[in-house]
Amino acid sequence: MSDIKALNEAVIKGDIQTAVTLTQNAMDAGKKAQEILDQGLIAAMDQVGDRFAKGEMFVPQMLRSAKTMQECLKLIKPQFQEGDVTSKGKVVIGTVKGDLHDIGKNLVAMMMEGAGFTITDLGVDVSADTFMKKVQEVEADILAMSALLSTTMPGMRETIETLQKAGVRNKVMVMIGGAPVTANFASEIKADAYAPDAGSAVIEAKKVLGIS
Amino acid sequence: MKPLEIPTFQPRLKVLNRDQALAIHAAALEILDKTGFRMEHPGAMEMLADAGCRILNNNWLRMPSYLVEEALKSAPTQITLYDQKGNKTMPLANGNSFYGTGSDATFTLDLETGDRRRAVKKDVENFARLVDGLENIAFAMSMGNPEDVPIENIYVYVFAEMVKNTNKPIVFIADSGKDIAKIYDIACQVAGSEDALQRKPFLLNYSEAISPLRFPENVMERLMFCAEKKIPVCFPSGSNAGGGAPVTLAGAMALGIAENLVGLVVHQLVGKGSSFLFGPNVSTLDMKSSVVSYGCPEWSLTQAALADMRDEIYGLPIWAFAGASDAKVMDAQAGAEAMFSIITALLSRSNLIHDVGFLEYGSTSCLEMVTMANELISMSRFFADGIPVTDQTLAIDAIERVARGEPGSIFLTDDHTFEHFMQSLFLPQLLDRSRYDSWKSAGAMDFYNRCNLEAKRILSEHQVVPKPDEVLKRINEILQNL
Repeated sequence: MSDIKALNEAVIKGDIQTAVTLTQNAMDAGKKAQEILDQGLIAAMDQVGDRFAKGEMFVPQMLRSAKTMQECLKLIKPQFQEGDVTSKGKVVIGTVKGDLHDIGKNLVAMMMEGAGFTITDLGVDVSADTFMKKVQEVEADILAMSALLSTTMPGMRETIETLQKAGVRNKVMVMIGGAPVTANFASEIKADAYAPDAGSAVIEAKKVLGIS
Repeated sequence: MKPLEIPTFQPRLKVLNRDQALAIHAAALEILDKTGFRMEHPGAMEMLADAGCRILNNNWLRMPSYLVEEALKSAPTQITLYDQKGNKTMPLANGNSFYGTGSDATFTLDLETGDRRRAVKKDVENFARLVDGLENIAFAMSMGNPEDVPIENIYVYVFAEMVKNTNKPIVFIADSGKDIAKIYDIACQVAGSEDALQRKPFLLNYSEAISPLRFPENVMERLMFCAEKKIPVCFPSGSNAGGGAPVTLAGAMALGIAENLVGLVVHQLVGKGSSFLFGPNVSTLDMKSSVVSYGCPEWSLTQAALADMRDEIYGLPIWAFAGASDAKVMDAQAGAEAMFSIITALLSRSNLIHDVGFLEYGSTSCLEMVTMANELISMSRFFADGIPVTDQTLAIDAIERVARGEPGSIFLTDDHTFEHFMQSLFLPQLLDRSRYDSWKSAGAMDFYNRCNLEAKRILSEHQVVPKPDEVLKRINEILQNL
């Protein structure tokens, strides 16, 4: 079995120790960091995403795989030049103003990170202004907003309007989700995408950016 | 001498022994004393500090156990809810169980088309009227977050809609100290005065902290408002196994109870002796879909365990759920899950049991589901009543008459049957036991369709006793001035 295949399996199994050792071995053997990332780590996470979507894996197993990937990434990151790491896209994520719930949002952030996106997590109770400024600052490709309470959903509309006023609305794709959020609400407030759960958030994110 | 009466044993579920109950309670106290909690309401924080909590940085407090003991002593062991006409209908104490609907569903299954669609104000009206007309549904919750009312005051509108369409007690939700004051105004109009409402409360507020151990300012505002105004409350955080809480049920319960105890302590410091319905929500986060399950056995198990802890330790009436499902339509899964939670909630003597009629893990309300649950509750109550054993029910005389009587003697014609069958047997109304041919010729309807027809019948025939014009006028004024 090739080292890359073994690394694949270690990531899928969530065996952190083995995966880290295999990553170190691959680096010591002179394998390129980009190759380890693409073929060893992201390819494994694609499979994890796939199995999870089919119901063959449970959430904690999927998250352990993501954590395994992150640990391996720490090793290879120094090998990349500044800005050299290829990312699927930059995502700013947070729970809207007035809402302090973060389990769903964290799950989405973890899964997107596992799928190769670069995440800036603003946490909970995030104002429209804070979202807008961070989107500008990191030149985000995607803004992802979450709400658990129906009373805080208007914060999503407000954020989109703030992006509009600041002239950055057309530079970023807006995704929304959370228990009371619906596809209709998303189109009503002119969001670009709606995802009912963490798994589909990744799929939608790829879709709006036109990547597979 | 009068013959001795044999007391009837009423079947009872027990899931914890005393040692388990005490260990979970001790863990809850340890969480508060060692880990502490995050209190984001400055007033509540100050009050807790004055009472003996230690302040760490960043709103973190630690609570000594004696504060919990004091609060448990001052909270009343019985909470009585009245209907809106002032009749005592829900004495919440040890052995009494009452079922009601749930709140805040985003969707509903349309009664006419069966389609899942966004909830509107009319749905809140329909659910309240259905509850009013169903014998075993004791209280109403909104069952919907309607999309056609202003979202800033959504809870005031749904509360007004409920009081207009049912006279049963109401469990309500509010957003902050602001809208709860409006809801309180409406409630005072219905009761006649503040004093009348305090003496005979027909409402109970549902608020929740955020697990793990976070107490937002607006949540505490509501809790303190209720403590002051003597509005009964419950304060169940969502300490769901694997979600807001550890995945193991004992730990999830300990955390949820710890959170509940913080609420209780603040509540009793603000309004000593105000009514506090005890208990967290401990369901599970589904490990595939990450939804909080409304049909899982875990939630039923943890609330049965809480009932044991009530009996061993707390002595306060408890909050519970039943009659809900994760199924997307009212199918066999919905029936199975609804019945599982309904009967176990009753057998463990949970007190106030909400969420009856939810599908799709609480996201969709269903009128047929409430109608079905009404029948399932009736079936469960029959079971929990047990088997009375008396001379009359042993029926030795009837056995003698039929067995040794004239040829052709049967029990069906015996007076004993005529006199006792109504009380001795469960007589279903919607569950079908007809013979195949008559079922077929009556349209071969399944349970869902029979519940659909029954819900429609109740909504068209049941008359809700209307509120006086003057009261309605004032409620509408409150709504107009929001």
